[in-house]
Amino acid sequence: MASKNPVIVRFYRFQNRLREKTAGLAPGNTSISPEALEKAQKALSKMSEDYPDWVSGLIVKLQEQHGRCVDSPEMRRDCFEEINHMAHDMKGQGGTFGYPLITSFADSLYGFTIQRPGDISDNQIELVKAHVDAMRAVIRGRVSGSGGEIGETLSTSLNDAIAKYEQTD
Amino acid sequence: MSAYDFDRVNILLAEDSPFIRSLLVSSLKVLGVGNVFAVEHGGDAIHFLQRVKNEPMKVGVQQIDIVISNWDMHPVDGMMLLRWIRRHKDSPDRFVPFVMITSYTEPERILQAREMGVTEILAKPFTIKNIGEKLISIIERPRQFVHTKDFFGPDRRRRKYDVATERRILNDKSEGVEIIRG
Repeated sequence: MASKNPVIVRFYRFQNRLREKTAGLAPGNTSISPEALEKAQKALSKMSEDYPDWVSGLIVKLQEQHGRCVDSPEMRRDCFEEINHMAHDMKGQGGTFGYPLITSFADSLYGFTIQRPGDISDNQIELVKAHVDAMRAVIRGRVSGSGGEIGETLSTSLNDAIAKYEQTD
Repeated sequence: MSAYDFDRVNILLAEDSPFIRSLLVSSLKVLGVGNVFAVEHGGDAIHFLQRVKNEPMKVGVQQIDIVISNWDMHPVDGMMLLRWIRRHKDSPDRFVPFVMITSYTEPERILQAREMGVTEILAKPFTIKNIGEKLISIIERPRQFVHTKDFFGPDRRRRKYDVATERRILNDKSEGVEIIRG
């Protein structure tokens, strides 16, 4: 029988044991208690307070990588890879901790440090610096949220730097 | 409406950033999750799952109910972990719900994870509400697993279609369809 009708697709349908474990056997609506959600959100907010210190450490590391790019051009590709990794981490975290500007600057830094063929120019190194400076300003000024006027100024000056260095590249 | 009791739930968490890891552990704990086993990358997660299979008494857990993993980790990333869980003969539970955390949300990346059998994607940056929603989706809307010659994972179709608009060629009564219940 089996050889006559080879199986093309198998569907596995299991009893929902996870629901039994978490909601019991009784039917009806279950939810996560609002108190638990609120408590967890509070814990998250409390941890967020430590975020600026932590990200400052990363910014120092980015500065070191930038310095290495300036001092030893032959290491630029390795440095860019490292910078790209750090930017990726930061991009995922800033918004979670109330610093969406870090996310957006890190996103931009991540975007242009993705490895492409060819040499890495001095202008690209300058662009790294512009990003690092912008992020440092965000953390130093504790510019959380969209940052209002300061945030706008920072974004604008970073965008100006991008436009300037990309044009002359 | 009653509240979920996550006290007997065992979660394996693979996340390389210490900051995000401790954040996730404490968030899950505050939500009431009984056991959160946190490891630093996919390789450690595989090692842990092997131990759960081979020496559950020693590890102190019989079964992992949900795996939550970051995508971008070294040396073994989230995709390699997912592939191992879904396909490797040593995997203790090929059907375990798998939540992938990622800040790469480009459609092709999401598709790639889906084709590998991911259950849910948690995009960074996330909130507690996002985490809660993923847990509820896993508990309330589990999908059947589909096994074909080139796919193994939760059904990639989440919506229920009317018969008239259903494009799936095979149904439960078709030849070549085997249904396994458990």
